[in-house]
Order: sequence, then C-alpha cells, then structure tokens
Amino acid sequence: MNRTSLSGAAIALAILAAACGDSSKIGQSGGTTVPGGQGNTATTEAAISATLNASGATFPKAFYEVAIASYKEVQAGVTVNYNSVGSGAGRQNLQDGVVDFAGSDGLVADADKPRYKGEFVYVPTVAAPITVSYNLNGVNELQLDADTIAKIFQRQITTWNDPAIAALNPGARLPATDITVARRSDGSGTTENFTRYLVAAAPDTWTLRSGSTVEWPASTQAGQGNTGVAQIVKATPGGIGYVDLSDAKASSLQFARVRNKAGKAVAPSLEGASAALAGAQVNADLTYNPLNADGDASYPITAPTWVLVYKNQTDKAKGAAIKSFLKYVLTDGQKLAKEVDFAPLPASLQLRALAQVEDITVPA
Amino acid sequence: MTLTTARAPSPTPPHRGLGSARNSLSDRAFRALTLTCGVLVLAVLGLIAVSTTTEAWPAFREEGLGFVFGTRWAPSAGVFGSLEFVYGTVVISAIALVLAVPVSVGIALFLSDLAPRRLRRAASSLIDLLAAVPSVVYGLWGILVFAPFVVEIYDWISRNTESVPVLSTLFAGPVSGFSFFTAGVILALMITPIITSITREVFDTVPASQKEAAYALGATRWEMIRAAIFPHSRVGMVGAVLLGLGRAMGETIAAALVIGSSPQITARLFGTGDAMAAVIANEFGESGGIHRAALIGLGVELFLITILVNLVARAIVNRGLRRP
Amino acid sequence: MSIAGPISLTSSLSRGRRVRNRLATAGVWLSVAAAVVPLGFIVAYLVQQGGRVVDWAFLTEDIPIISRGGGPGMGPAVLGTLLITGAATLMAVPLGVLAATYLNEYGGKRRLAGTIRLMADVMAGVPSIVMGLFVYSVYVLRFGQRGFAGALALGCLMLPIVIRSAETALQLVPNELREASTALGARTSRTILTVVVPAALPGIVSGALLAVARAAGETAPLLFTIGIVNAANPNLFDGTNTALSAQIFSNARLPFLAAQQRAWGAAFTLVALVFLLTAVARVIARRFTVR
Repeated sequence: MNRTSLSGAAIALAILAAACGDSSKIGQSGGTTVPGGQGNTATTEAAISATLNASGATFPKAFYEVAIASYKEVQAGVTVNYNSVGSGAGRQNLQDGVVDFAGSDGLVADADKPRYKGEFVYVPTVAAPITVSYNLNGVNELQLDADTIAKIFQRQITTWNDPAIAALNPGARLPATDITVARRSDGSGTTENFTRYLVAAAPDTWTLRSGSTVEWPASTQAGQGNTGVAQIVKATPGGIGYVDLSDAKASSLQFARVRNKAGKAVAPSLEGASAALAGAQVNADLTYNPLNADGDASYPITAPTWVLVYKNQTDKAKGAAIKSFLKYVLTDGQKLAKEVDFAPLPASLQLRALAQVEDITVPA
Repeated sequence: MTLTTARAPSPTPPHRGLGSARNSLSDRAFRALTLTCGVLVLAVLGLIAVSTTTEAWPAFREEGLGFVFGTRWAPSAGVFGSLEFVYGTVVISAIALVLAVPVSVGIALFLSDLAPRRLRRAASSLIDLLAAVPSVVYGLWGILVFAPFVVEIYDWISRNTESVPVLSTLFAGPVSGFSFFTAGVILALMITPIITSITREVFDTVPASQKEAAYALGATRWEMIRAAIFPHSRVGMVGAVLLGLGRAMGETIAAALVIGSSPQITARLFGTGDAMAAVIANEFGESGGIHRAALIGLGVELFLITILVNLVARAIVNRGLRRP
Repeated sequence: MSIAGPISLTSSLSRGRRVRNRLATAGVWLSVAAAVVPLGFIVAYLVQQGGRVVDWAFLTEDIPIISRGGGPGMGPAVLGTLLITGAATLMAVPLGVLAATYLNEYGGKRRLAGTIRLMADVMAGVPSIVMGLFVYSVYVLRFGQRGFAGALALGCLMLPIVIRSAETALQLVPNELREASTALGARTSRTILTVVVPAALPGIVSGALLAVARAAGETAPLLFTIGIVNAANPNLFDGTNTALSAQIFSNARLPFLAAQQRAWGAAFTLVALVFLLTAVARVIARRFTVR
C-alpha cells in the first residue's frame, strides 16, 4: 500500500507542478501540421486581442480547425474556440447568447427567428459532399440512386444482396449481410441536408420528411457528430451511413457513387461539389440550396454550411475579431479548404459573402 | 460513502454549558453560523427541485400523463413521450443488477469470511480501486475496447440460442456492440463496489457467536453462511442493492457512450436502445423552448424515480435496524 | 474475526452437502475473479495506452486545435480539472462541514435538522446531469459558460457526500469528550471547535477527499456549463474552460487515432489523480481515527 501511495504521490506532484507551471504556452506542440496558407494575408489589419466562443456544426469542423489554426498566425491575439456540438446546438447557443457565432448547415426556422437576440446574418463559408459511406468487404465499387438510398435508410431494404441494390450494381458480388444503418443522434445540419435531398430526389419513396432530427426507424444506430456516424460505419461490417467527405476519407471509409438528376453516377468529390455549387440559386440573405443540382458532373448530395452571426455587434473587440476572422475564412481560408476535402465557394458567392461581413456593425 | 447499517444510536443531544451560564456572543454567533449553513443547504436543494420543475412544467402541461407513458419522442413534431427511455433505463439497470448482485455478494463474503487474512487487505484495496475509476473512463473503455470486442460473442450467443424458448427472444439478432446489454455490463462494473462495500459492512456485523454456533452444529461453510449470515443481513443487502440501483439509473455518461442511442422498446438485449440520462446529454445542447422543457422534464422524472428508490432503501434499512 | 472453517467432529458429511459447499466456495472465488479480471483488463489497457502518451509535454501543452492529427497535449484539461474541482471543494466542504456540525451538535432530533438530513440524502441521489441542467438554467444563461459554472455544479454534487460523512464522523466522537470539555467550563462553540472537530477531523477529511475524487471524475455536470478551450485558461470567471473528464468524453467519440490516444492519456491522468485522492483518504481514515 505504501509503494502505491508513493507512486501515486509522485504522479500527483508531477501533475500539480505542471499545472502551476508554464500554463500560458500557446500551442507550440510538435505534431501540429498546419497545411498551406502561412502568413501571406494582407496583414494591414491592426492587431486585435479577443477570445471568440463559437459552437455548431460538425460537418465543417475539419475546415474550421485548420482555418482557426492558421488564422492564429495572422492574428496571434485572437483565440477562437469552436465547440462542435451539432448545428442545432449551435443555433440554440447563439439564440441564448452563449456564443459569439454559430456554425450551422441548416437554416433557422421562421418561428424561431424572433427568439434571437437581434437580427443575424448567414455567412456561407464552404460546401462539401455528403457521402453515403459503407463498410462491405470485397465491394469496392457501389452505385446507388435516391430511391434505393431512401429505402435503405427507411429500413425497407434490409440486406445487401437485395435486388434493388443488385440491379444498380450488376458486376458486384453483394453478400447477404444485414444492412446496419448509422444516423445522427443529435440535431444535425448534415441530417437536414441529407433528408432534404431525399425529399427532393425521391419524393414518393421517402416518407420521413426532413429536419435536423427525423423519426428514424427503431432498428437504426445513432452516433453523435459526423465522426460518430463514421465510427459506427467503420466498426460495423455491413454498415452504411451519411458522413461528410472529409471525415469519411479520414476514417478510410468507402463511399458510393450516387445517381444525380441527370442520371449520371457521380462519386463524391470536390469537382462534383463545385459543379453542384455552380448552378445553385443564391437568395438575397445568402442562403442557397445545391442539393439535387442539375448538370452531368454535379454530385447530388452537396451540402452548404454557414456561419450565423448577429449583424449588430455589441462588443468592440469581439466584433472586430469576428469580422477579421470571417474575412480570413473567405479569402485566404478558402485556399485551405481543398486540403481538407472541402469545396471553396464560387467567386461570385465569395464576393457577396465578403460584402455581408463588411455590413456587420461594430461599436466605435 | 458511509451509509452504514450501524449508525450511532442517536445523535449527540444539544447541550448547554454547565460551567458558564452566559450564552456569550461568540457562542450564539457560531450557532447561528452553523444554522445558516444548514438552512443554506436546504435552500440549495429546494432551489434545484423548484427550478427544474418550473422549467419542465410547460412540457408536463402539454403532454400530461402522455409524457410518462407516451411511446413516441419526436421533438420536431412536438411530441414527447418518454416511455422508451424509461424502458431503457429500467432494462440496463436490471441487467446491471442481475450481473452485479451475485458478484458483489460473493466478493463481500470473500472479504468478510473466506479470504485468508493476507489477501483480505489486497482484495479490499482492489475493490476501492474499482470504485475510484470515474464513470467516463468505464465509458471510454466500453466504447473503444469492449463494444467492438463483444459483438462476436453476442453473435455467437444469438445464433446458438435460436432454438431455446425464452433465450431466443432475449438474444435475437440483429446484434450490436452498442446495446442494452453492453450498457448493462458497464454499469454492473460501476455499481459492484458500492454494493460490495455496504454488503461487506453488513456481513461484518454478524455476531461471531452465531457463526460459531452454526459451526458447532456441524455446518459446512456454505451452510453457516445460509444459516447465520444471510438471515441477519437480508435487510442490509436489500438496502445495498437498492442503492446500487439508484446509482445505475442516474448514470449518464457511461451509458450514453455505449447504449446505441436509438430508442426502442424491445426484448432484444443485444439491440440498441436509449436511456433517460443519456438522451438528456445527447439532445440538450440543441434544444430550445418546449424541447428543452421536455428534457428537463426527463431529468425531473429521473430525479423522482431515484428519490423513490433511495427512500425505499432507507426505509427498509431503518426498519431492519429497529428489529431486535 | 476469521473462523478457520468447520471442524468436523462427526463422521464425514453427506456428499450433497460437501458438493454444495464446494460449489459455493467456487462461486465466491468466481465472483472475485469476475470483478478482478475486467478491472485488470481495464487498468492494464489504461496503463498501456495512457502510459505511452503521458509525459511532461502531454500534461502541460495545449490541446491541438486540429483534432484529427496533431500531437497529444492535455495541459488545459489538467489545469481545468484541478481549478474547477478545487473551487467546488472550497465551496462545498466548509458549507457541508458547518451544516453537519449544526445537524449533530445543535440540531439533534429537531424537525429542521431532520428535514435537512432528509434533503441531503435525497440530494445524494440526484443524477449528476440534473445538477448540470440546474446550473445551466440558473447561471449559464445569465453569465455564459465558464469554469465557475462547472464548479457550482460539482459543488452541488459534493455537498451531500460531505455532509453525510462529516455528520457520521462527528457522531462517532464519544460524548465523554464533550462532557469533559463542558465540565472544564468551555462554551459550546469552544467545545466544538477545540475538542469535537479535531477528534472528528480524520473522518471529515477522508470524507471530503472522497467527495473530491468523485467530483473530479464527473462529466455530466460539466457538459453544458464550461464550454471548451484549446489553450489553458486559469481564470474561472472569464471565458470557457475544459476538464479531463469532458475531454475524455468528446475524444472517445472520434474515430481518429490521435484523438483516441489523447483520450487514453487523459483517462490515465484522471484515474491517477482520483486514485491518489482515494488512497490518501483511506490512509488518513485508517491511521488517525480515534477508536
């Protein structure tokens, strides 16, 4: 017992000493790799000092992380904490005034708008394909269409060798494995976009409607965040789920080619996403819908994402920091997008977004 | 955590100083200070109870009894029936008890009777170590190590019990590593130390004379246990089990990580499910308005159930103490 | 008090009784194994995975912003756990000990004391997430997410444990000590402060340490109250914070190896901390208690 106490004491002393020690070090950890974009911004900005708290979508998390990390090189005094808790939680946090801006893949319902503390704006940042990822040994190529996807996720198709899937994949050897459907347990913009796609592309088959939460059939599995779904698919032979491209690739998942509106089977890729973005109609408030887009090369499940922020900022330093950060994301940050498998905005949308950020008012 | 069955007979009676007749200022001040602290504690709890109930009220009012008995939980449609989650909480707690109680009783017997004296202290420390592991670490181990590992075992069990009457329903597929059963196992690991330590204290209070009497009559060790230890400890053991149950029902994090988060009412133990505390943890961040009220309502519901279990445990234990 | 097994004075036992006895003994040893083996696995895994990752850099450096890769670092979480749990302790322990003093020394069988005792027992059963919800509605919505909110939630969690153990410790102090002190002319408050509390101190301290250990390991109350940071934040009242338990929870769900390694490292650190507190508590209780 004494020996254990001694070693325990040693560990505790180490921890205590660490805590009282150099706790003001700012991320110089050895292994952090910040891809691309190093300090070639127009640093004509004055130095700002502020801490921004943000929360929201897990979909763009990988992109925001690299953007935040490389933004630190530009404005070392600004710390951005992004808590990826899902689009729904992000919007709610902004409504409650608990965060300075929110990341959301979905739009705020009209009924909720008055609950916010003031007028807010949508700032589009990036877009990316939502993959239909699967885990099936020996099946390296899979093609699906909206109807089949709808039936799978509604548990009307329950095994991999179902005739509907076989019909789309004549050459593949599909096993008789049960399909395990992975979906989100939290309020998700990814779910919202995925289901909106199914409503648009398979209106007669898909009955669960769309939303950030949907009443999934009981025998589905749920994970938290895009990474939670990726984890389930990865761990379950026969699993299938909807995951953003970045997390799917990082988890080494296989994804299906999806038949788009023009009938072509397109793999989820940045080219497919950019093609879908090109034709999308953008509204005055900068919301837009690239789902189920026209065009031969468009990937049909391309999802948008925005930053929601109050138009009239109340804190001078925070307001300046928000504008600076968003401007960074929309200029130099866009170059980082491709490296983490996100599609940058088309030039016209980028300019309109920058104008939107300029309109944010900050107290003098 | 020292809910012992052998509480001191009665609390020390308030006394007045025999020597000094003056109730000096400092004396009164000190007394006032402690009284204030006592009242403050009461106030804090009262505040928790009142504030959570008021926050939850809109949901209760809207759903009425449907909140407790409704089977459909659909925030997007404004429908909040918590039965699936109550079911999940009950099932995983039941599994946890079924697994933990025999093991805990066995360990308690080991610690109070069977263990050679040298092993006793080591085993006791080991149990303390089990209690010291935070629930989130059990959850971490569960999600990263146990759940992936155990799927094949579940599959094997499921396939091999297909023809056995009751078991085939309980263990029917499709199986998932993240399921009621996995959550139950993790909870069992967590509540074993609680049940063990209380049960062990109870066993230790069995008078040696009773044990010796049993042996003198020619009993084997097992017969002595049945004749002397168990009857004496029945009440304490029930109290211990109920306390373990209370802890299992309120456990949020470990369950949330491994239960599957897909609510359903089913007899299939290897299927996914959801539990009250886990739902709150998963959905609270994004909730607003009536959804949030409903989640706080789940918290209140859970609170009431655990209070009930704890009060029943106390009542049984206290009644048992009064028996001669 | 170990009785070394039955001495059979009569002729040998019936086979049935012998078999049942052996089975029962086997059952007991099996149940010990059933607890020890999984625990052994967990600890071994923890030490193996966590020990690989934990070093000075891990305990001090910032949490990498890029969660997929980046090196390990949990400094802010270590600091957060220590500060938040420390603040919770500073709030809960004095309050709880004084309340227990009232209950045992002044309250006796009065109705107020009985009510407080009942409420403390009830509070001990509140699921930890409800504490978090409470602090969220009452504090966070007004002041934002910060370390202090987490400390409030943990403090509420610790309070009933402290009260219970402190009251028990005070009860165990023999009345003779109190009477002797009063006979020597001391005022009640003096008796309590100079005789009773010191006698009960080992029990009080060990109970408090157990409460601290429990609080350090809790995640649910911190979920919505403290937010997240990547760099250490030593200020509990300004800005969000993080803690080891919260980091373990969020990293456990990420499929990336680096994140999982950080989770194991944080778990290792946390278990070491909690185990240390528990061990110290037991040692104090055993060695210094007045019997």
